[in-house]
Amino acid sequence: MRFIKRKEFPYLLFVLPALLIYSTITIIPVINTFVYSFTNFDGLSPKFNFIGIANYLKVFTTNNVITSFVNSIEYGLVSPVLVTLLAIPLALLLDSQMKTRNIQRAVFFFPSVISALFLGYIWNFILSPSDYGLINGILLALGRNKLLLLSDPGMAMVLLILVNVWCSTGWHACIYLANIQMIDKSYYEAAEIDGAGGFDRFKTITLPNLAPAMTVSVMLLLTGSLKAFDLPFALTNGGPGYATTMVTQTIITEGINSNRVGFASAMSVLFLLVISVVTIFQVRSMGKREENLS
Amino acid sequence: MKKYKLPTFLLEVCMFFVCAVFVIPIYYLVVSTFKTQAQIIASPLGLPTSLNLDNYVKALGTMHFFQNFLNSFVITSVAVVLIVVCGSMAAYAIARRKNKFMNFLGIYFLIGFLVPVQTTMLPLFLVMKNLHAINTLPGMIFLHSNGCVFAFFLYRGFIRTLPPELEEAAFMDGAGVFRTFWSIVFPLLTPVTATVVIFNTMWIWNDFLLTYLFLSSTSKATLIMQVYNGMGQYINDWSIMMPVLVLALLPMVIFYLAMQKKIMGGLTAGSIKG
Repeated sequence: MRFIKRKEFPYLLFVLPALLIYSTITIIPVINTFVYSFTNFDGLSPKFNFIGIANYLKVFTTNNVITSFVNSIEYGLVSPVLVTLLAIPLALLLDSQMKTRNIQRAVFFFPSVISALFLGYIWNFILSPSDYGLINGILLALGRNKLLLLSDPGMAMVLLILVNVWCSTGWHACIYLANIQMIDKSYYEAAEIDGAGGFDRFKTITLPNLAPAMTVSVMLLLTGSLKAFDLPFALTNGGPGYATTMVTQTIITEGINSNRVGFASAMSVLFLLVISVVTIFQVRSMGKREENLS
Repeated sequence: MKKYKLPTFLLEVCMFFVCAVFVIPIYYLVVSTFKTQAQIIASPLGLPTSLNLDNYVKALGTMHFFQNFLNSFVITSVAVVLIVVCGSMAAYAIARRKNKFMNFLGIYFLIGFLVPVQTTMLPLFLVMKNLHAINTLPGMIFLHSNGCVFAFFLYRGFIRTLPPELEEAAFMDGAGVFRTFWSIVFPLLTPVTATVVIFNTMWIWNDFLLTYLFLSSTSKATLIMQVYNGMGQYINDWSIMMPVLVLALLPMVIFYLAMQKKIMGGLTAGSIKG
């Protein structure tokens, strides 16, 4: 090939491994997901037919699939809001002159280095409806009645979101903390001279200047919670019933356990669409806040 | 520096209780492993009365701790090395060669970067099946090495800030691209390499989804998978599962304690600048 000069050849070798890995693991499967979503492919037989948008219509008419989309969206939108509302005040507290702030930071960050699966199991022990569970153990010791906790369909999603908030708040507080420490201190001095109170200073200086951290933190939270699998799987395994079944789990049960690859691919495509729309919308609107800052 | 005042001290006391919310679950798990079932129910949060290791002996009997640890270790370390090597080399070529093909590759890598594996896992399963890579350690390593795309972006950003004069001097002296990269450029990339290694070690070690789908055979189980398998088997016998969890947690806890400063520095710096 004439147009590849000898000089360029070593550079091509440099990109080749990454290119092969990425194409095989990301690009080919993405294309295949789109193709399969219009077929009745079962993952086993080499023969399959194109059936148009039948799979997509089925997604919108299958109750447990709709439920899992609603669950993922509920979990994926509520968790980021709660984590953000807790992480910013926590970051401000960790920025104060406390002597133990480094230990505190280590404590709050700790859940971020542990597998979400393990955190789910640990909370499973604590919230278990049996006598073993810590919460019910304490309630019994106090002479109260046991609670259903994770076996209660209404309660399960609330608890799942709270556990997720427990897992993620520390890390996101650390992201905000790093940003707070980069804010120019002279703003605060000027505000103090002008006689601005603590809350005013937070509203007019700290919060707007946290825009860069917020864009990143909220994006990580949104994508992370929307595609969550490990934590719900370990804590509730989707139950009771379909009360906490996430889209990811439905895709696996339909596509791999029940061999309905075409149908599950249609779900994947729609799910990818939801994640993309939410992320693009979020990054755009929050990116504008960052521009207003400068 | 402001002076240490009473309100700060009171705040510190309040924060102690907030920290308790984070410590108690782990504390509860650890103390329970030294107790009998009756003791747990009688005083769930009390310290164990004696150092009873029966539960640990039983737990170790149900798992192949060292085999599982070794599997996790091999998968994580080989994949991380691949990620560093492939990611940094691709980043170097694309950052330094300005031609149409390399520019196209930069965009090509960006397209799929944000596609979560959760939406592509079915075709990925079939691709891996065709490669006969399911239930094999090399297959698992190959899957995790996809992290090189993330590493690629971190490296490329950093390489763009490096002046090219050093490399040009090496080329003048007759060194090839390969040698120039490894002996001159790569050592300069150490800060990024540290971040890439720490991030990916945590992600790969803690991965459950991919391992659950692609490495189900028990003899090749990672520590995470072993806990999952045990959960299925001993779901009602927490006297076994609690110590199993503590043992499986240990490597990551040690990693965290050893790397704490770097982890926080890397995660926060990486997320704000990235």
